[in-house]
Amino acid sequence: MGSAAAQIPTSFGHELRACLRCRLVKTYDQFRESGCENCPFFKMDEDNERVVDCTTPNFTGIISVMEPSRSWAARWLRIGKFVPGCYTLAVSEALPEDLQNLCEDEHVQYAPPKRV
Amino acid sequence: MPRRGDEDDDDLEPEEEEYQAYDEDEEEEEEEEDRGVSSRKRRRSEFIDDVAEEDDEEEDEDDDDDYGGGGGGGGGRRPRPKRRSGSEFFDLEAQVDTDDEEEEEDGEDDFIVDGGAELPDEDDGRRIQRRPLLSREDEQEDVEALERRIQARYARSSHTEYDEETTDVEQQAHLPSVRDPKLWMVKCAIGREREAVICLMQKYIDKGTELQITSAVALDHLKNYIYIEAYKEAHVKEACKGLRNIFSQKVMLVPIKEMTDVLSVESKAIDLSRDTWVRMKIGTYKGDLAKVVDVDNVRQRVTVKLIPRIDLQALANKMEGREVVKKKAFVPPPRFMNIDEARELNIRVERRRDPMTGDYFENISGMLFKDGFLYKTVSIKSISSQNIKPTFDELEKFRKPGENGDGDMASLSTLFANRKKGHFMKGDAVIVIKGDLKNLKGWVEKVEEENVHIRPEMKGLPKTLAVNEKELCKYFEPGNHVKVVSGTQEGATGMVVKVEQHVLIILSDTTKEHIRVFADDVVESSEVTSGVTRIGDYELHDLVLLDNMSFGVIIRVESEAFQVLKGVPDRPEVALVKLREIKCKIEKKINVQDRHKNTVSVKDIVRIIEGPCKGKQGPVEHIHRGVLFIYDRHHLEHAGFICAKAHCCIIVGGSRTGGNRNGDSYSRFPSLRTPPRIPESPRRFSRGGPPLDSGGRHRGGRGHDGLVGTTVKVRQGPYKGYRGRVVEIKGGSVRVELESQMKVVTVDRNFISDNVVVSTPYRDAPRYGMGSETPMHPSRTPLHPYMTPMRDPGATPIHDGMRTPMRDRAWNPYTPMSPPRDNWEDGNPASWGTSPQYQAGSPPLRAYEAPTPGSGWANTPGGNYSEAGTPRDSSAYANAPSPYLPSTPGGQPLTPNSASYLPGTPGGQPMTPGTGGLDAMSPVIGGDNEVFLMPDILVSVRRSGEESVVGIVREVLVDGSCRVVLGSSGNGETVTALADEMVVVAPRKNDKIKIMAGLLRGSTGKLIGVDGSDGIVKVDDTLDVKILDLVSLAKLAQP
Repeated sequence: MGSAAAQIPTSFGHELRACLRCRLVKTYDQFRESGCENCPFFKMDEDNERVVDCTTPNFTGIISVMEPSRSWAARWLRIGKFVPGCYTLAVSEALPEDLQNLCEDEHVQYAPPKRV
Repeated sequence: MPRRGDEDDDDLEPEEEEYQAYDEDEEEEEEEEDRGVSSRKRRRSEFIDDVAEEDDEEEDEDDDDDYGGGGGGGGGRRPRPKRRSGSEFFDLEAQVDTDDEEEEEDGEDDFIVDGGAELPDEDDGRRIQRRPLLSREDEQEDVEALERRIQARYARSSHTEYDEETTDVEQQAHLPSVRDPKLWMVKCAIGREREAVICLMQKYIDKGTELQITSAVALDHLKNYIYIEAYKEAHVKEACKGLRNIFSQKVMLVPIKEMTDVLSVESKAIDLSRDTWVRMKIGTYKGDLAKVVDVDNVRQRVTVKLIPRIDLQALANKMEGREVVKKKAFVPPPRFMNIDEARELNIRVERRRDPMTGDYFENISGMLFKDGFLYKTVSIKSISSQNIKPTFDELEKFRKPGENGDGDMASLSTLFANRKKGHFMKGDAVIVIKGDLKNLKGWVEKVEEENVHIRPEMKGLPKTLAVNEKELCKYFEPGNHVKVVSGTQEGATGMVVKVEQHVLIILSDTTKEHIRVFADDVVESSEVTSGVTRIGDYELHDLVLLDNMSFGVIIRVESEAFQVLKGVPDRPEVALVKLREIKCKIEKKINVQDRHKNTVSVKDIVRIIEGPCKGKQGPVEHIHRGVLFIYDRHHLEHAGFICAKAHCCIIVGGSRTGGNRNGDSYSRFPSLRTPPRIPESPRRFSRGGPPLDSGGRHRGGRGHDGLVGTTVKVRQGPYKGYRGRVVEIKGGSVRVELESQMKVVTVDRNFISDNVVVSTPYRDAPRYGMGSETPMHPSRTPLHPYMTPMRDPGATPIHDGMRTPMRDRAWNPYTPMSPPRDNWEDGNPASWGTSPQYQAGSPPLRAYEAPTPGSGWANTPGGNYSEAGTPRDSSAYANAPSPYLPSTPGGQPLTPNSASYLPGTPGGQPMTPGTGGLDAMSPVIGGDNEVFLMPDILVSVRRSGEESVVGIVREVLVDGSCRVVLGSSGNGETVTALADEMVVVAPRKNDKIKIMAGLLRGSTGKLIGVDGSDGIVKVDDTLDVKILDLVSLAKLAQP
């Protein structure tokens, strides 16, 4: 059931990065090769420079979401509509402005991380 | 079609697909119903429940062509959407993402239980139906459909905004319910938390639905545990089977209330980013300021740049293999690395290019240097990043050698982050330091949350510009007079003499030294103050011994230095003295003789009859080595202090020759000293001048009260052991305000002992019990020892005004008694003995004084100050030995009334015997009814020529004036209002009030009723209902 899951990180620490929009966690190489499953419009796989802009190594915690629609945690974290995969609980940076604009153009919601 | 946007897409939602077939059946049924029933418009305006209906509409418009197929299920329709362009698809899908989320929320919300399962399904159905419609558009040119499409798009975009704006509220809707899966806490191998959850994910992908968990969480801050979300514990255990990193023997359920806490990590995430200032926590660099260069949150490491603390010689020795003698506790001072120097010491320096950043680093035995800084990668845990406020000096040092301030602007960002709220105020001159508008100057017009609206200086620009506050810096120009409001120099004032970017050089008003401060820490102000009144143990107006054995009185306190008027008579000599240059405070109590061999003690009023300051007079504040420090309020220099030789002065009013006895000796032998007491007091009175005789007598009368205001200890009875202040004396008993209990009790006079050690070392020994004794001035507040300028009864009305009201307030904690007075009294006894005429006067006095000890000066008969204008009061006043008045400088604010009537009793001391009698005998002791201003009450301030303004008393100053914040809510400017400029705002029924007089002084309460001139007050603390004089109540400022 469900749509295809995102790639699963191939390592557990180094090289992990999180997508600044959907918070999907993969390794740098994975992002570079196949982009972000939730945010294909970033076209990270086409433009490798984008990976650095769209993802961050600074994130807190990992959540593996098996069933986004049923998982309360996923809903709480607002990743309930994304594909199953490994996400982070929070990223510490905001998406660069130009990419935020891109999201807007694509009519995709982007919520910057909450600063406390 | 507002719903349209919501409805498309979600192919990815497994659940929806699951239900799809069922959905469409349902839709069909509904369609049929709908057709016969209602108009489209109505349906559109309805809410979620209508979703299905809307779908129907679409189908209607599709000419029902699809109807037959629709029943067949999603499969048949699916291919159609593919015809749409990719971009459209994404649009819609993304849009829906958010919307769907909402819908789900709604659905899962407890209120709409049923909806939860259905809604997504409906979505699916809709999507499927609409797509055919769209695909046909071209052929049919269906205007209506086009219109709807536009509507849908419009609705969508507005919806998006809404969604973003209300995230916090929405988040509430996500709170876990009983129908959600639960979180289970499972132990896992330490350090393998992330690995474990990723493995679980992998396992789910491999095994598919067999794994009935919905998510797994690894928190960075929680070691040894992961959370797994599942409906049942068994599912958790099943999922963990075979994973060696997870120990699922024990699975703990997370209570539903704590579920959100588990996932709330945002707040805990330390926002450590580039250019943040941090401090090292451990090692050689412990405490050192460092700047973050790079952060690796995954590895929990951070690269910082520091000023190296490297002993090159030791390093060279080490590299050459020589024995390195490790000196313990030696930390090399921070110094920029000089590569050339290192080379000279034959230290091998490698120059390498960092592959990531492309920067070149010098590598010396593994340490990386660039531009003299050490680049060090450390664990995030070994630095502290919270509340780092680099000092000015540190930042100065951190500047790259040769770099000017310009490049430093970026690093100010952390400083700015530490700005307090309300940093900028309307009218501030500011300069833009970042962005396109850099260097644009302007004035603050309006301050919003983050943006500051400025009125730019330059013409041709919009009237106001909104600038992020982080891009703004306060701007000053040379010549501005400013006050430092934060940082190490806080409180200093001065004139800006130079502006270097964000750094100001200020010529301090007091030290006349240059101080360097951040423009950010400064506000424009005409105030001239040092802000501080004490450093270490030394306080303004203290007499101190300096390094070179010279001495002087501190006349101004700077943030790091004192101005000291040296004890050099004849010519004022002021020295700027640092704290370390002061040896000690001179606190000895010494008496000297004036020109006429009168004993001069501290607080005696003397007149200078020789030297440059001839003619000046004032109370003696300090005596040391035959030198007097006299405080003359009218002397504008040196904070009013004049230094003069004792023999160049005469004690005012004292023309007799006095003995040299020190009063202290008396105090130890109360029995001996009793008789002389009365006589001695007269002398004090005599200062006023001719009318001394009578004054002397009254003096004695006043003497009764000596006990009032003293700190005593209860020796017997239920309050044995308690300490307190004598509030009043009634016959054989005294009323004592207990220090520890905040209440006043009546104790037998014989049960108290007053030789309690109080804060002042000067205090006299016990004198209680002796009705005829002269008054004692018990405790003083150390803070205001010098504030009683006007002891002199002959003083001008103004002075009277300032001092009078306080006199009674001996018991009042706010009324410090000046210690010097004691000296003064002590000194006095000597004189009376030799002045027969006084003695003559005293005996009768004593006769009646004895029975009413302490009825004294402290209490005015009837004592209500609110009626201060009445003659009776004045007389009471007069009775009060005026010399004492000055001694109670105590910051006690006067009521305006008292000030006004005081002048009417000039001198107050030529008293008639009758008044003296009144004073002494008066049975009514109402000393606790005076009204004085207190902080937090509302007053109306009327200054000459101005409208009266309501304000809140913030602070009551020593001279009776108050610092008042204007505006009834305390948001106006702060002014200092004189006592007679303020009138207490009378409270009305139901107002919160503060009691300004009586035993409950200081208490707050609510005025629950008014009865004539009485107010019925419910006291906050005790909830007692009291009837108090309205005049003693003031409206309390609402916080």
